[in-house]
Amino acid sequence: MSDLRERIERFLYLEADLMDESRFDEWDGLWADEALYWVPCNDDDGDPDRQVTIIYDDRNGIRDRLARLNSTAAHSQRPRSRMRRLISNVVFDAGPDGVVEVRSNFLLAELRHGRQDLFAGRSVHRLRERGDGFEITYKKVLLLNNDEPIDNLTFLI
Amino acid sequence: MNSPTNAIALNRVTDLVQDDRVHSDVYTSPEIFELEMERIFHRQWLYIGHAAELPKHGDYRVRKMGRKSVIMVRGNDGRIRVLMNRCRHRGMAVCEQFQGNAKNFTCWYHGWVYSNQGDLLDVTQPEGYGDDFDRGAFGLTPAPRVEQYRGFVFASLSATGESLSDHLGLAKRYFDYFEEASPVGRIDVTAGVQRTVYRGNWKFVGMDGYHPYYTHKSVMDMWQARRDGNLGDTHRGDPFSDDSGNLTRDVGNGHVLLDMYGGRKRHLEHYLESLAKKPGGAQYIADMKAAYGEERARELLIWAGDPHVGVYPNLQLIGIHIRIVHPIAVDETEVLMFPVLWEGVAPEINSARLRVHESFYGPSSQGSPDDAELFERNQLGLQADIDPWVYLARGMHREKVDSDGSLIGMPGDETTQRGQFKAWKKMMQEPA
Repeated sequence: MSDLRERIERFLYLEADLMDESRFDEWDGLWADEALYWVPCNDDDGDPDRQVTIIYDDRNGIRDRLARLNSTAAHSQRPRSRMRRLISNVVFDAGPDGVVEVRSNFLLAELRHGRQDLFAGRSVHRLRERGDGFEITYKKVLLLNNDEPIDNLTFLI
Repeated sequence: MNSPTNAIALNRVTDLVQDDRVHSDVYTSPEIFELEMERIFHRQWLYIGHAAELPKHGDYRVRKMGRKSVIMVRGNDGRIRVLMNRCRHRGMAVCEQFQGNAKNFTCWYHGWVYSNQGDLLDVTQPEGYGDDFDRGAFGLTPAPRVEQYRGFVFASLSATGESLSDHLGLAKRYFDYFEEASPVGRIDVTAGVQRTVYRGNWKFVGMDGYHPYYTHKSVMDMWQARRDGNLGDTHRGDPFSDDSGNLTRDVGNGHVLLDMYGGRKRHLEHYLESLAKKPGGAQYIADMKAAYGEERARELLIWAGDPHVGVYPNLQLIGIHIRIVHPIAVDETEVLMFPVLWEGVAPEINSARLRVHESFYGPSSQGSPDDAELFERNQLGLQADIDPWVYLARGMHREKVDSDGSLIGMPGDETTQRGQFKAWKKMMQEPA
């Protein structure tokens, strides 16, 4: 059990570093072929078929997002955000099909144009065993401020 | 605050807006912003919200009219009112939530209770007021004028002035295109709101067909590479080029649009093919024809529910969303985006519309954050005002008057900005 916890935490810390450092291609490599990257808007449980979201990317959506961020014309990330985030309160349930559902909290400091912002929330990952690590099949990010005005959330959360 | 330039600006608004240019102060001066609050946002018709946001009795939304917090609420009598969010006793806000459903609004300072129709129901310890206290005279204060067009609720804090119908004028038809893209002619505005904010003046949210190549280069490159199923569906070819068939249009009173009818007409067959391949798409096209007849349905399908219009001063209908532009300070603006669903269509059509919207609009999207970034750079650049003029002359030499009296220009022409500033100048010069 402790081994699984250590592997999960190591994976979350790796993902945090890749997001903090805008290492898009490596982050892209963490995702499974069937993927959902979901950041709800207004509340945590809206039905995405009838409610607007902040992010609701399938695998192609993730690729488009990263392709744009790699472009020199993605002005809202020129200059890039400088970030560090803390990941904590990790709990998980191992499912029967080799998929682990992991819930963790994050606190992210983001600095851009001389202004530092804090974002906080909870992430729900579904991780599937791949080699000696995991791949992400599903990630839902419950932002504390998903019903408040947000200026720029074009970095990875 | 009291620089000589600004002192001049206050007395001579006229000089700040010329035919082909505007002075930086219109974007940067706090005194000008105060005057905008008084003469535009606390006086003119403002869009407050849509009746379809309030399907049930008691549903309410808290919105702003300039600096004033208001409650748009559907009362138990079914009527929609716009009420000042202010207790008639000592002025507390009586509604602390952004949205919800309520039978009553209670001021928790001294316990006065108002119905969702604005009536004062209960005064605590009433013996303190004597027998002649007239409860009926102490209801929540309504906005002096409230009118609707096709469910779009507008209010004005001025008791007099032109009717909403006269104010909207030629812009009314664009509300029709927006709603009649639904085969039953109704939109559903319960899909939530994306709230964004930028550190720049509210007037930057203009209507600009010149910027997409540059501001949105990262996205336009992707549209060209992979069109179907994304926003490229309604932006085929090169929609902002002079030979696209598209136009900028100034229909008066500050209402302006990027008129993409001409270009979309050329690409209609492609659009319909792409639509027909999607779940519910063929049925949708058939239902539109059955509902509106072949000719009108064709016109509505060309518009694709996207009039791309700015209704002065605080409303835009762009893509699938209703947008409210809310000035907070001279250099800070909140933008609220309400994507709408079409009633009477397959659920897959609406979910696909939401996903296309999210790809370009919202704080994590690929489009509007780049606009916001450029608006912030604009606010920064305008401070360097040794030469204070902002040049808005693009296309003046080739502007034409269309048959309905509106002014038209090429897609990248500044006909739209000039149209907005004409209205701005007129409103700002009207004394109390």
